[in-house]
Amino acid sequence: MKILAVEDDALTLALLVSSLGEAGHEVEQAGDGHTGLTLACGRAHDVAVIDRMLPGIDGLELVRRLRAAGVQTPVLFLTTMGGISDRVDGLEAGGDDYLVKPFAFAELLARIHALARRPPLGRVETVLHAAGIELDLVTRRVSRSGQTVDLQPREFSLLEFLMRNAGQIVTRRQLLESVWGFHFDPKTNIVETHMSRLRAKLNSNGEPDPIGTIRGAGYLLHALMA
Amino acid sequence: MYTAAFMVTVGVIGWVTVLVVSDTLERQAQRGLENEASALVDEFKAGGRQDLEAALAGRFANPLTHIRYVLIGVDGRALLGDETLLPYGRDPAGSVASRGAGPRTAARALSDGSRLVVADDLADVRHVEAVIRRAFLIALVIAGALGLGTGSLLSTALLRRLDAITRTAEAVVAGDLTQRITHTGSKDEFDRLAVTLNRMLDRIDGLMVNLRQVSTDIAHDLRTPLSRLRQNLETTNRRAATLDDYRVAVEQAVEETDRILDIFSALLRIAQIEATTLRKGFHPVNLSELFHTVADAYAAPASDGGRTLAADITADVWVQADQDLLTQLFVNLVENALLHTPQRSTVTLELSVRDRSVVAAVCDDGPGIPATEREKVLRRFYRLERSRYGPGNGLGLSLAAAVAELHGGQLTLSDAQPGLRASIAFTRELIL
Ligand SMILES: Nc1ncnc2c1ncn2[C@@H]1O[C@H](COP(=O)(O)OP(=O)(O)O)[C@@H](O)[C@H]1O
Ligand SMILES: [Mg+2]
Repeated sequence: MKILAVEDDALTLALLVSSLGEAGHEVEQAGDGHTGLTLACGRAHDVAVIDRMLPGIDGLELVRRLRAAGVQTPVLFLTTMGGISDRVDGLEAGGDDYLVKPFAFAELLARIHALARRPPLGRVETVLHAAGIELDLVTRRVSRSGQTVDLQPREFSLLEFLMRNAGQIVTRRQLLESVWGFHFDPKTNIVETHMSRLRAKLNSNGEPDPIGTIRGAGYLLHALMA
Repeated sequence: MYTAAFMVTVGVIGWVTVLVVSDTLERQAQRGLENEASALVDEFKAGGRQDLEAALAGRFANPLTHIRYVLIGVDGRALLGDETLLPYGRDPAGSVASRGAGPRTAARALSDGSRLVVADDLADVRHVEAVIRRAFLIALVIAGALGLGTGSLLSTALLRRLDAITRTAEAVVAGDLTQRITHTGSKDEFDRLAVTLNRMLDRIDGLMVNLRQVSTDIAHDLRTPLSRLRQNLETTNRRAATLDDYRVAVEQAVEETDRILDIFSALLRIAQIEATTLRKGFHPVNLSELFHTVADAYAAPASDGGRTLAADITADVWVQADQDLLTQLFVNLVENALLHTPQRSTVTLELSVRDRSVVAAVCDDGPGIPATEREKVLRRFYRLERSRYGPGNGLGLSLAAAVAELHGGQLTLSDAQPGLRASIAFTRELIL
C-alpha cells in the first residue's frame, strides 16, 4: 500500500515511517502542511495519515484543499487527546477517520486497512460473503453453510463490519464506533460480550469458530474458511 | 473644591445683601433729606430769612444730628453753615444724588436768590454696611473653616476606606486569599464596591481551592498506578528469566500506562468541557434513539453480570446537544448503576416529557449514595469508601456533571428508595 504520512513531530513521524515500512507499506513523508499538500496532489496514495496540528497549513486546511482539488485519497486524522468537537471538525473538513494520540500501532494499522478497503463510490454491495457466511444487507438475513442464523441487530452490525474487513484485524474501538457509535472508551466489555454471543450463534451447529481473537489488537474474520 | 464653591456662594450672598440694604437705607436717607429741605423752605416762606436762620441755628445746636447745612448767598459764598458743602449748591434745581464717595445732598433755591443745601454723610448707612460686611466676612471665614474641615474629614474617611481595599488587595497579592474587605453596611458606592470585590475574591478562592484539590488529587491518584508500574518494571528487571517473562511484564506495563493515560484524557476532557461556553458542535439529537442505543449496548453485559436492564423511553424526543458527549454521559451513569450495585439489581433508563421539558434519568435499586455524599461524588476522583478498591477512577460523575452543565442542565442525584436516581432535565427541541 502507498501511504502518505504528514506529521510535524519528528519522532512520531520516524516511528510511523519505520513501523508502516515493517508492515510492508511504502511510505512518503512530510513534516509540514505545504510539503504534505504537494505530495498528496503529486501522486496517488491508498491512504493519507495526517496530523491535525501542522506548521504552515494545518491538517484540516490541508484536507479541505485536497478535497477542493478533487483528490479523493482516504484521510485518517491524528490528534492529540482532545478537543470536544475535534472528530466532527475532522469529518466536516473531508477526513474519513480519526485517531487520538497516543494510539496502539495495531489500531493505526487496522484503520488504514479499513480505509483502503472501502468499496469505491458507486459500487453498492447488497450481499456479503466470507468464511462460508452469507449476510444480506437488504433482507438482513444471515446464514452459515446454508443454515439461517438469528442475530440481534447489534450482532448483525458486528458481523457486517467483520465481513467487510474479512481477513484483516479490526479493533475493539473500530467496532465500538461503527456498531454503537461510541467514540470513547467505556469501562464495560461491550464488544467482548456481544462478540461471544455472536460466536455462540454462528458456531451453534459445531462448526469451527470463524472469528479469531488477536491479543492486544482485536478480532479477525478468517476470509478463506469454508 | 466644594469648599471654594461654598465660599464664593457666601461671598456673593454677602455682596448682594450689602447692595440691597445700603440702597434701601440710602433711599430712606435721601427721602429724609428732601423732607428736611422742604421743611426749612417752609420756615423761609413763613417767616423769611430770619425764621430760617433761627431754625438752622436750632439744628446746629442739636448734637445728635449727622445732617449738615449751608445757606449760600447770591454771590456764591456761604452765609451760614458748612462751607465744604458749597460745591453741592451749584445746581439750584435740586439734589445731587451722589453715590459712593461724598455725602447725599438735597438743595433748594430760595426766592431771595440764596440757596440751601442739606447734606448727610450717611455715616449710619456706612456703619450698617460695615456691620453686614463684617458679619458676612466672619460667616465666610467660619464657612471656609467648616468647609475645609468637613472636606478633609470626608476625604480622610474616603482615604481610610480606599486604604482598607488596598490593604486587602495587597494581602491577597501576598497570597492570603482569606482576607476580605470590611464594609460598613451603609449601602453607598464604597460598600457596594467592597461587596463586589469580596464576591470576586470568593470566586477566586473557590477556584483556587478547587485547583489545589484537583492538583493534589491528580498527584495522588497518578502516584498509585505509577508506583505500581515502577514496581513491576523493577521486579521484572530483577527476576525475569525467560523471554516470555519479559513479554508479560511489558504487556502489563503497557496496560498500566494506558490506565494512566485514561486518567489524563478524562481529566483533560472534563477541563475542556468545563471551559467550553460556546455550544459549538450542537445539533438536534434524537435522545430517544440515543437511549435505546445505550440500553441496547448494556442489556447483554447487564444480564451477564446478573442484573436487569429496563427501559421506559418516550419516543421521538429531540434535544440540542453534542451527541458524543451526551452518549458518554448516559454510558457513565449506566456503568455506575451496573458497577456499584449488587447482583440481581435492576437498572432503569427513563426518558419522560412534560411540555417542553425533558427528564432523562438512570435509576437503580442498589445501595444508593448517602445524601451527605451526593455533592462530593461529583468531584474529581471522589469515590465512596466501599468502592475505593474496585475498578474505576472516580472521574465518571465529574464528566457527567460537566456534560450536563454544558447542555444547560444539572446532574441531580437523588434517592430512588431504594437506590440511586441520576437525572438531567433538558429543553425539548421541537422538530417539525
Ligand atoms: N449508582 C450508584 N450507586 C451507588 N453508588 C454510586 C453509584 N454511582 C456512583 N456511585 C458512587 O460514586 C462514586 C463516584 O462515581 P464515579 O465518578 O462514576 O467514579 P467511579 O465509578 O469510577 O468510581 C463511585 O465510586 C461510587 O462510590
Ligand atoms: Mg463511574
